[in-house]
Amino acid sequence: MTLPICTKSGNDGDCAQEINSCIVFGYRCIDMRENKRLLTSFILLAAMLVLLFVLNVANGSRAVAIADIPAILMGSGGGTAHSIIWSIRLPRIVTAMILGGALAVSGFLLQTFFNNPIAGPFILGISSGSKLAVALVMIFSLGAGLHLGSFAMVLAAFAGAMAVTGFILAASQQVHRMSVLIICGVMVGYICSAITEIVVTFADDSNIVNLHNWSLGTFSGSTWSDVASAGSVVALAVTAAFLLSKPIGAYQLGESAAGSLGVNVLRLRIAVILLSSVLSAVVTAFAGPVSFVGVAVPHLIRNLMKTQRPIVMIPACFLGGAVFCLFSDLIARTLFAPTELSISTVTAVFGAPCVIWIMMTRNKRPI
Amino acid sequence: MNDKITLSARDLSAGYGSRIVLSDINFDLAEGRIISLIGPNGSGKSTLLKTLMGDLAPLKGNVLLGDRDLGELTRSEIAKAMAVMMTGNIRPEWMTCREMVASGRYPYTGLLGKLRAADDEAVDGAMELTGTSDLSSLYITEISDGQRQRVLLAKAICQEPDILILDEPTTFLDIRYKLEFLNLLRLLAEKQHVTILMSLHELELVRLVSDRVICLKDGHMDADGGTEVLNDVYLRKLYGIGENEFPGYRII
Repeated sequence: MTLPICTKSGNDGDCAQEINSCIVFGYRCIDMRENKRLLTSFILLAAMLVLLFVLNVANGSRAVAIADIPAILMGSGGGTAHSIIWSIRLPRIVTAMILGGALAVSGFLLQTFFNNPIAGPFILGISSGSKLAVALVMIFSLGAGLHLGSFAMVLAAFAGAMAVTGFILAASQQVHRMSVLIICGVMVGYICSAITEIVVTFADDSNIVNLHNWSLGTFSGSTWSDVASAGSVVALAVTAAFLLSKPIGAYQLGESAAGSLGVNVLRLRIAVILLSSVLSAVVTAFAGPVSFVGVAVPHLIRNLMKTQRPIVMIPACFLGGAVFCLFSDLIARTLFAPTELSISTVTAVFGAPCVIWIMMTRNKRPI
Repeated sequence: MNDKITLSARDLSAGYGSRIVLSDINFDLAEGRIISLIGPNGSGKSTLLKTLMGDLAPLKGNVLLGDRDLGELTRSEIAKAMAVMMTGNIRPEWMTCREMVASGRYPYTGLLGKLRAADDEAVDGAMELTGTSDLSSLYITEISDGQRQRVLLAKAICQEPDILILDEPTTFLDIRYKLEFLNLLRLLAEKQHVTILMSLHELELVRLVSDRVICLKDGHMDADGGTEVLNDVYLRKLYGIGENEFPGYRII
């Protein structure tokens, strides 16, 4: 006995016209609304970026009239305003944008990798591992009278990041509960931070003040050469992540499903973990640990865009991270001027509630 | 009959590392047939499916796709020939049903996964066939288990496989959805000549839908034949239920 065959008649195609008329990022969407939402979201993010850029240029210990900014940016007009903007504010602004974007993309990659919405470089202790490695290398090299370049710092940060990531991966083999993994990461972060504190406290050097500021996280003191070094590494890593959009999207369906679609899962996992570590290492090397951007931004972007497609998420997260860090740095610089807040203080105020929000809305299933 | 053979096992042994779970597995599966895999828990059904789909490397022997060894094929070649539907409960957030279905086009799209017109047609066709067109713009998290199974089937269909492997596909479904789902598989086998191999616990359904039943017990093939193997005497033996146990209960 076999079942009779019945064919259901599908839709009569009344939405066919609408279907064929919209294309975004190579995806045809059934729904015009989605297209509009993506476009509006990108325009919104770009507008916020421009606004925050202008506010960051204008505000500071010496205020610059917004009307004067175009002239200064075009290179005309000399004087102190010109030099303050070109040698202090602009490199700092661009660094904050690049590193903020890098953090957000790193967070998105980690969330995909661990299939966990609250994974991020800071929460998993990866930033703190980088911080410890950089602090050790800095103190050692200063003690030995060496002056190491920024790439050496990036390498140290990367080594620290990989050490912690390796530990987290080993832990994730043992326990499959994501909450346990997160707690492991937070604890490793505390341990690394504590050791860094000890090392920094006993470091005997005139650079100790800088080292101390750096270990709390700040974009202050960024130079154009920082922009060039950080920018080149971040550009490479983010481009590589973007080019992996397709397999990353398949990986979001689960490892086994990705494998059956033809993804080399092992190779993809290695690539994703390396890229996210490089990105968070660059941030730590140049700005110290910056908290919560990696968790908060991808979450906000997902809720804004209402999609998880990596081909949209990676550029959108980069843009969102840049906006978030410019906003936070503006507050860090100006709220209690001339005293500066550490960047992490500000990002935590806005980012940590996002984590709570995610946990509250996710309580239906165990994280 | 000289039907085209799409999937074969040759002296196959499978397992994990040094632990052999299955041995001496031999079969040839023909196109357009529905083959059900039954057997008690722990008899090696999942291990066999994982080995056939290339998730586990065979410990001994070969898996052949058509006339080529699975190990010699690239991932993309395998994905074009064989689709898999597992009973995971992964529900990605903010993914629409259509995006989920379209992910089945993975082996056919380019570097960034851009869907071409032919891909869109395949997606629309698969959704129409499974009656999921109405769900297109809904998120995976918004639909019922029954609808989700059909969406996952649509995903497998638009992968345009010769072979479809399913692991307990009816687990989350109520009886109506179970029947509708099996009906779809029947359609797929008869109209598109797909070889369908699935593990299934519900013996009544196995009898209803299968062309062939392969029974696994303690890591070997205990029986292989038509639905006539599904009789009370044999099934009691297969599942280790003694003649005097549960008297009066008929398994099938």
